[in-house]
Amino acid sequence: MDDGSTRREFIQGAIKLGGGALVLLSGTSLAGEEHPAERYDWAAHRYAYLIDTTKCIGCGSCVRACAAENDVPDGFFRTWIERYVLSAEASHVDSPNGGKDGFPPVETGFLPTKSFFVPKMCNHCKETPCIQVCPVGASYRTKDGVVMVDGDRCIGCGYCVQACPYGSRFLSPRTHTAEKCTWCYHRVVEGLKPACVTVCPTGTRMFGDMMREDDPVRLALEHERVAVMQGHLLTEPQCFYIGLDREVR
Amino acid sequence: MEHARHVFRVLFVLLLALVAFVLGRTLLVPKSYGVYGPYRFDNVAEQAAARPPLHGGAASCADCHDERFKKVAAGSHRNVSCEICHGPLGRHVKDGDVVAKMAVDRSFTLCARCHRKIEGRPEKFPQVVLEQHVHQQGPSKLEGKVCLECHDPHSPKP
Repeated sequence: MDDGSTRREFIQGAIKLGGGALVLLSGTSLAGEEHPAERYDWAAHRYAYLIDTTKCIGCGSCVRACAAENDVPDGFFRTWIERYVLSAEASHVDSPNGGKDGFPPVETGFLPTKSFFVPKMCNHCKETPCIQVCPVGASYRTKDGVVMVDGDRCIGCGYCVQACPYGSRFLSPRTHTAEKCTWCYHRVVEGLKPACVTVCPTGTRMFGDMMREDDPVRLALEHERVAVMQGHLLTEPQCFYIGLDREVR
Repeated sequence: MEHARHVFRVLFVLLLALVAFVLGRTLLVPKSYGVYGPYRFDNVAEQAAARPPLHGGAASCADCHDERFKKVAAGSHRNVSCEICHGPLGRHVKDGDVVAKMAVDRSFTLCARCHRKIEGRPEKFPQVVLEQHVHQQGPSKLEGKVCLECHDPHSPKP
């Protein structure tokens, strides 16, 4: 019966080894909750963004502030402003230099019956295609609801740039990796608002925390009629809009 | 016994493959990868510390420029943060010390960004057809600091 006992030992050993390997493979840490910054509990926040397009004057302050705050390369935008000049039959949409230097008067060839500005940026979707297509786990969504790119892991394949229905990502000409709006995560963890919200002179841009009951953005989402862009894609954007038009995609 | 040796050989190869896999994975996959999901958690901390905040917000300007701040706060430009016209605080002050003069743009193009009458702006927002407006006010031409001849940007009359 010497054979039997070694077999049992072998099986026991194999089970232990297999269990250990499973723990390793699942990659879970047995340590407690970690936090991205000191004195910042990322599980205690869930951010949302609200854009009231009826207030936007197209001054471009947000675009300039974003570029300065995040050192965005020239010609690329983490946020930008589009102008829609419309009539029942015709439309004209422009965004000269992303609206960074404001907007010039426009000659449209038709008589416009309405016109407005729409600030755009990453929608920080809950079910975002950009994370789903990333082959290396460089794109991810934090517990507090921010979609970000790990530049060290990104291989610059550009799948996410193609997958984003809102055109909010680009490949940086400096690092050749994907770059995008982070809701100014380096500011948010310090309790500040994103740069674009900080400088907006008309209150078009609002940033809020859905975990706070008295938050103005949360109250607006609860009581006002808000829309999201391309809702039919079911990406669950966390950027909400007031005053969206059917022409805006 | 011959059979047992065969089985042992196969098991040995499998074990070797497993060890190689686990060892390779441990070496290649970053430490914090997968702690909260299929991403590197350390990057969240890296993003949080990516750079010091550059914009301070209007209230931070009031720390030194209280008088000016009160004047702006009382006028119709009260919602226009200092940094919109002057640029970000971080280029002016670092760690409490003044490192550079704040930019002052007195040109009409700065005012025009918000107040030039163009398609797209809400109708109620104060805006003028630049050439016409300047022409109506007197002999000045639409150039340089023409807006400041009549308007105080810190507290313009509505």
